[in-house]
Amino acid sequence: MSMQQFTVQNLATGYGDLQVLQDISFDVGAGECLCIAGRNGVGKTTLMRALSGELPLISGGIQMQGTEISALPTNRRHGLGLSYGPQDSVTFAPLSVKENLTLHYQDQNLERYEHLFALFPRIRERLEQSAGSLSGGERKILSFTRVMAEDAQVVLLDEPTEGVAPENIDHMATVIRSTLQARHSVIVVEQNLSLIEAIADRVIVMDHGAIIHETANGPELRNEISNLLKV
Amino acid sequence: MESSVLFLLNTSYAVLTLALVVLGLAIIFGLLGVLNMAHGEFVAIGAYCAFAVQSAGLPLILSLPLAIITTGAVGWLIEASVIRHLYKRPFDTLLATWGLSILLREGIELAFGLEYRSVSEPVSGSVRLLGVDYPIYRIMLMVALLIGFAALYVWYRRSNAGVRVRAMIANPQLATIVGIDTQKLARLAFAAGAASAGLAGAMLAPLVRIEPFMGIDFLLQSFFVLVVGGLGSLEGLFIGSSLIGGAESAGSTLMGGTAGYVTVLLISILFLWLKPEGLHARR
Repeated sequence: MSMQQFTVQNLATGYGDLQVLQDISFDVGAGECLCIAGRNGVGKTTLMRALSGELPLISGGIQMQGTEISALPTNRRHGLGLSYGPQDSVTFAPLSVKENLTLHYQDQNLERYEHLFALFPRIRERLEQSAGSLSGGERKILSFTRVMAEDAQVVLLDEPTEGVAPENIDHMATVIRSTLQARHSVIVVEQNLSLIEAIADRVIVMDHGAIIHETANGPELRNEISNLLKV
Repeated sequence: MESSVLFLLNTSYAVLTLALVVLGLAIIFGLLGVLNMAHGEFVAIGAYCAFAVQSAGLPLILSLPLAIITTGAVGWLIEASVIRHLYKRPFDTLLATWGLSILLREGIELAFGLEYRSVSEPVSGSVRLLGVDYPIYRIMLMVALLIGFAALYVWYRRSNAGVRVRAMIANPQLATIVGIDTQKLARLAFAAGAASAGLAGAMLAPLVRIEPFMGIDFLLQSFFVLVVGGLGSLEGLFIGSSLIGGAESAGSTLMGGTAGYVTVLLISILFLWLKPEGLHARR
């Protein structure tokens, strides 16, 4: 059996005394895209925060290429090849767009963004502006380019399309697919069914802090998920 | 003419030294959200370093590295042992650092006693500037501070490390997400804030009375500057220092020392009441 790129076992987490997630288990292979769907407030963002290290686990484990990472702080997970685009507060608002993109590199070189600037020219046009002056959708795109250029083994994206225009959502799908071709793993929390259809290999549906359904991408996917998401 | 030149020099001196004293408090509050009640004691430790160096018959310039190393190490130890457990608990850090200030004060008293100490200026005499005689040590100090602050500003605005520091102030969560070791940065920031307070104490030692309780005045003054200038930016620090230092200097020149103090207090109360964010708050 080949070693999975990313494995979550019986994960439980929460805030203080309040347990939000219980018994979450899944794995993601190299070159595979797992999408996580579910209504608002069912624990999707909490799960992403636990995977990235922002939130400690109550029990369970997270392994990246066989290494247990659940005790490591966020910056150490980043160092091991885990990139994360959170849902909210996705930029350093007072810093310029350029500083947002380069501050975590010694060389401060923008070349690694060229292929992304070609798809999202707005970001290049606004390099000298402060990130706080961008629109909500532009900030999400800025965060997305920052994450995808890191070229990490495992990519976590929390609702990357929130407020983003449809043609840019298509560009995001293109970027994610080429990352998958490079045998990297992508885990995306997403509401947008079109993006899910475009990139997912498998889809997990969550409700009340647990996984209630798991399915592969296919022609029936939209109906299947829509039924589960009905209130 | 002479009196206005003298006033200008005195005000510049007051503003620059005040900015130096506040810097440490502003670093620690801006980066860590901790209001360090022991700030004044770090200034005091720096001043006692100068006293110790002079008492030992060594050149006073050695007090600068000694103060930086001593207070930096004390700050590092305090962060590692106490403060790091208390982040995001503002009231607890207030109490903890207040307790530490008492501890440090008692430690100073134990080592040096309660009596007033003084350090003589390393260069005595005065120079004639635009028709007034002004102490040469003060002039040297002002020049050194101007150069130091300009360098700090350029570092903060332009260097990669400065960008990271600003990133951590703006969004600490995202800073760890992009791989910045915020725990290490926090410890460094606390040590740097303490060291800059110690440096201030050593540089000002020849010009102030040195006793174990000297820190309280410095803490109060620094606090007023942050109230007026706003928190979390170098610009706010300079604006606050200019206003508080300028007001104190003008008040004391016109109406005497007590009036200067009352002016500062009034300005601070007005700001807390009408503009609690300060003049240049971080966005």
